[in-house]
Amino acid sequence: MMNNESSPGNSPIDYPSALARIGDDESFLAELLDLYKMDFETKIGGLQNAIDQENFVSIQELGHGLKGSSANLSLPFLLKAALDMESAGRDKNLDKARGALSTLGQEFQNLQEFLSAKG
Amino acid sequence: MIQVLIAEDDKLCRTILEKNLRKWGYEIISTKDGKEAWKVIQEKNIQIAILDWIMPKMDGVELCKKIRGQKWDGYIYLIMLTVRSKQIDIRKGFAAGVDDYITKPFDTHELKARLQTGKRIIGLQNQLLDSQKMLQEIATHDTLTNLLNRYEILNVLTDEFHRSLRENKPVSTVMLDIDFFKKINDSYGHDVGDEVLVEVASRLTGTLRRYDKVGRYGGDEFLAILPGCDLRNAKRIAERLRRAVCKDRIHTEAGQLYVTISVGCASSESQSHKSIEYLVKFSDKAMYHAKNMGRNCVIAS
Repeated sequence: MMNNESSPGNSPIDYPSALARIGDDESFLAELLDLYKMDFETKIGGLQNAIDQENFVSIQELGHGLKGSSANLSLPFLLKAALDMESAGRDKNLDKARGALSTLGQEFQNLQEFLSAKG
Repeated sequence: MIQVLIAEDDKLCRTILEKNLRKWGYEIISTKDGKEAWKVIQEKNIQIAILDWIMPKMDGVELCKKIRGQKWDGYIYLIMLTVRSKQIDIRKGFAAGVDDYITKPFDTHELKARLQTGKRIIGLQNQLLDSQKMLQEIATHDTLTNLLNRYEILNVLTDEFHRSLRENKPVSTVMLDIDFFKKINDSYGHDVGDEVLVEVASRLTGTLRRYDKVGRYGGDEFLAILPGCDLRNAKRIAERLRRAVCKDRIHTEAGQLYVTISVGCASSESQSHKSIEYLVKFSDKAMYHAKNMGRNCVIAS
C-alpha cells in the first residue's frame, strides 16, 4: 500500500514529532534520515539471513534495533513492523517474521518515495 | 567541563545524543557496547554515564552493577536509556544502581533537564568531597606551620615502625626544640614567635629527604621520622637540620633573630628502642640532654 499523503495519520513520518524530539533542527533530521536508510539496508540484509537460518535471537535483536531507530525518527509504520519482527523472534514464529520483513520493505519504500516527493 | 560517557549500540540514537550533548557543552566519549564502556569508565574520569539497557557484550544493568560494585574517586551519575517502562523493569534498573532513567524515544528537552539534575548532583558531590578534603587537612595538619600535627606524625611513626619490622630495616626519630623560644615570645610577642615557628618548619622541611616526614609535636617541639635510617645517619641528618636552622638569621617583624635548636635522635636498631613509645621517649630524652649540654647541639640516644 502506497501512501504519500502528509496528514499525520497516514504519513510514513511524523515530522512535527521527530523535529520536536531533536530540537527542531531540520538539517540534523535529514542527516539522521540518511543514517537510518544506511542502517536499514544493513539490518534488512541481516534479517533475511536470520530468517533463512531460523536464528530467532538475531531476528529479535535486529527487530529491536530497528524498533528503536524507527521510534526515534517517528516512523509509525516502520515502528509497527519492527515491533512485529521483534515479537516474531521472541515467539520463534517464522511466518510472522517473513510477514514483518515484507512489511518493513514496503514501508521503507513508502518512506523513500515520501521523502523524495517532499524534496 | 563534565565528562559524559555514552554507551549505546544504536548508531542513530548515539548520533542524536552526541550532537545534543556537544551542543550543551559536555565533553563526551561514545562507546558501542557495555564492555567498551566499562573499559572507558576505568580509564577516564567519567562523571555522568548514559547507558542503553540492551547492548551487546554487557547490558546496561550488568554495567551499572559493576560500576556500583567498585569505589571511585568521584560519584558517577548513571542514566539508563530504555524502551522498558514497566514498573518491574524500572525497579530492576534502580536496584542495579541507576540514578535516573529516560524512556526511548526520548525528547531532547527532557534529556537536557535530566542531565542538569545529574550535573547538580555531581556538583554537590564535589562540594562534599572538597569539604571532606578540607576537614582531613585540618585534622592532620598544624594550621600555623602546615606541617603534620602531633596526631598525624605519630600515625606516620606507627606505619613506618611496622614497615621497618616487616622489612627488617631501622627507622629513626629526631625530636627537636627551639632554644629559648619562651624568651622570643616574651620579648617580641607571639606574632614574632609564630614567624619563627613557620620559618623553622620551612627550613626543616627543605632539609629533610623526600621520604622523611616532620610534624609539629608540641608548642615549639618538632618530631621528624626517618625511614630506613640507622642511628649514625640519623645523627648526620639531625646535624644538617640543626645547621639549617642556625645558619641564617630569621627575618621577623621585630628584626633578624638568631635562632638555634637542640636535637635528640633515637633509632629502632637499638634493642631498648624496639617500640614506638620508646623511640619517642628516647629521642625526647636525648633532646633534653642536648639542652643540658648547652643547647644548639645534637645528641644521639
